Amino acid sequence: MSRPLRERSQWAAWLSLITLSLLPCEAALSAPYVPVNDAQVLAQLPAGSVHTSSAALERARTRADVALPLAQFYISRARASGDLRYLGYAEGMLAPWLSGPSVRSAALVLDATVLQSRHAFSAALTQLDRALALQPDNAQAWLTRATILRVLGRYPEAMRSCERLGPEVDPAVTQLCEQSLRALSGELDEAYAVLISLPQQTLSREVRAWRYSELGEMAERGGDDTAAEHWLREGLALAPDDFYMRTAYADLLLRQHRAADTLQLLSGCESMEPLLLRMLIARQMLGDRDAADAQAKLEDAFAIEEQRGEAVHRREQARFLLDIEHRPAAALTAAQENWRAQREPDDLLILLRAARAAARPDAAAPVMQFLTQEHLQDRRLEPYLASAQL
Amino acid sequence: MKALAVLMVLIGATLGSSAQAHIASNGFLVAEVSGEDIKGSIELAVRDVELAIGVDRNHDGNITWRELRASAPQLRQYVAERLHLAAQGRACSVSFQALQVNDRVDGSYSWLPWTAHCSGPIRQLSVSYALMQDIDPSHRGLLTLKAGSVVQTAVLGGAAGRLNFDVAKASRWRTFTEYLQAGIWHIWGGIDHLLFLLSLLLPAVLLRQHGHWRALPSARPAFLSILKVVTAFTLAHSITLSLAAFDVVRLPSRLTESVIAASIIIAALNNVFPLVTEARARIAFGFGLLHGFGFASVLADMGLPNGARLLSLVAFNLGIECGQLAVVLLVMPLIYSVRRATLYQRAVLPLGSAAIALLATVWLMQRALGP
Repeated sequence: MSRPLRERSQWAAWLSLITLSLLPCEAALSAPYVPVNDAQVLAQLPAGSVHTSSAALERARTRADVALPLAQFYISRARASGDLRYLGYAEGMLAPWLSGPSVRSAALVLDATVLQSRHAFSAALTQLDRALALQPDNAQAWLTRATILRVLGRYPEAMRSCERLGPEVDPAVTQLCEQSLRALSGELDEAYAVLISLPQQTLSREVRAWRYSELGEMAERGGDDTAAEHWLREGLALAPDDFYMRTAYADLLLRQHRAADTLQLLSGCESMEPLLLRMLIARQMLGDRDAADAQAKLEDAFAIEEQRGEAVHRREQARFLLDIEHRPAAALTAAQENWRAQREPDDLLILLRAARAAARPDAAAPVMQFLTQEHLQDRRLEPYLASAQL
Repeated sequence: MKALAVLMVLIGATLGSSAQAHIASNGFLVAEVSGEDIKGSIELAVRDVELAIGVDRNHDGNITWRELRASAPQLRQYVAERLHLAAQGRACSVSFQALQVNDRVDGSYSWLPWTAHCSGPIRQLSVSYALMQDIDPSHRGLLTLKAGSVVQTAVLGGAAGRLNFDVAKASRWRTFTEYLQAGIWHIWGGIDHLLFLLSLLLPAVLLRQHGHWRALPSARPAFLSILKVVTAFTLAHSITLSLAAFDVVRLPSRLTESVIAASIIIAALNNVFPLVTEARARIAFGFGLLHGFGFASVLADMGLPNGARLLSLVAFNLGIECGQLAVVLLVMPLIYSVRRATLYQRAVLPLGSAAIALLATVWLMQRALGP
């Protein structure tokens, strides 16, 4: 009696599986509906995203003493939450102050920060040059310039920007700017030692967190994963919503195959795609095959970005293609496109990994050249160097 | 100065190039063009709707379905003011339907369906999109525009607040192949035309002399005989198909379908009890006229796309000819090679034709007397 029933339900399961697989992805992902429950919460409004009348917005925008701090607030929200929408709000506030007679160097620097976050690095550098033409001692402009040049792998130029930070700037900030570059240019151990001995009593919370983040990165590149973990934990204790450090910590854990720890670290961060990606990788390590939903979400996010003609997440996309979808050739293409845009150690790593997975040692050549030229040290790259070709 | 530098340090340093968590703000605009009308939907994130019109009435930081629904009139007005459609430069009138919700990667979206009516068939569609732009200049409208089987996508907003789309032109090639295929499939799928053709082709390799069938001596007269039949049929149905497609002549479909069935009976019975043996091409032409009306009714079901009526008619007709030619090329060598066999002359031709006639009789009854 129970046997035919089970067979029938098996048949039903197969049938529904086949039917489901025939459904187009779009239909599966987005089907509008009428909520049954009136009280269903559709959105929780984050700070600073409450309706303001257009008249009030216009008044705020036309007053520099309101518009610029507001833009800065939005940018710092973007930093804390990783939410790109805030960058758009900042842009809206900055618009009147970027050209014409009312141009402000502070506005140009903020706009450069927005552009940098969108990975529009050359446009960001242009805005910084304009700001520095207006105000040659704008420390924030020099610091942001150094950061962008560092991302682009142009270390000597970045160093010259750090050197322009004047005596009025906190010496610890200048040190962090310079030592982080030395660490990328063949003097990793020396720079690491300098930052460890940096006196901390006088440092602001933000600068202390920045120091931990740099120390964590340096320790990891130097091959001391235990120290790296220590620094990142300290940093996160100080700045729990630092999205960047959380991502770096997750990557450290994943490299050590500590999937459960990764999931614990990232629990509650599902709405941030790069963190969702890392959770997905961890779940895969644990043999969890029931992650189609998260995978579809990420696919959708990448597709939308592609449609917008933006490539903010190219590195993440390469990682997704490589580690989740196991499509090495496509991952290599994404990693190569990413390499054309930026040269951080993580960009080197993903290109090397994709080149090896795709059995294309020739594709690793640009990384090898870069390493030789800049004397960059990174122990994470070593497993992939033997198979790479110059 | 120092304060500013320290405050921004983190932005400078850690926003470096690290991945951003969320995708930027997008509105999803879908539009499906057919004739003078457009059917579509616009989707905005509930968060964005709050910024645009203010939905959180109790200011608790949560937006419920009740609050969103209560704001539907304002949302409709907001969209109506900032989303404009025009066909050939003349504004289309947009009306909205009931609001729904759609869940996407980055949260819930309000899904607002709409329809638009334009003054005339849409060839050039202009879409202007100004939603959210004053609040978030990086907001973009991701447009999916469908016309027939052609899908175009575009990004609206920023410098590209208004874009024009050539709806007719982009789809010409696709329309052509679509109608060509429909024509081919109609011949292959619509067995009645095939059977009619077969009834005329089966005896085309034979000659009727003194009450008996005889094989044609060589390929040439057999080929010519088949060519005449096929050409006559083609010519005839092309004429009536065109007349019907452009609404010059219209016949009720029950009549057409019934007469087509009758034509098959007559053509098939003529092989069993031969009356007309020399002038089969004339039968093909006469009844071909009726079959043309039959093809036209299929085309009427598909609808001729505006701006490409002639193109799609020609494509459909070409498709029919292709399908028909394939049948002829398949059947011709076969019947030519067996034409001398007694079995073919005494059994296949009369019995096969009788079977066809019988089947067609059933159709005739169904079509003439059916509901």
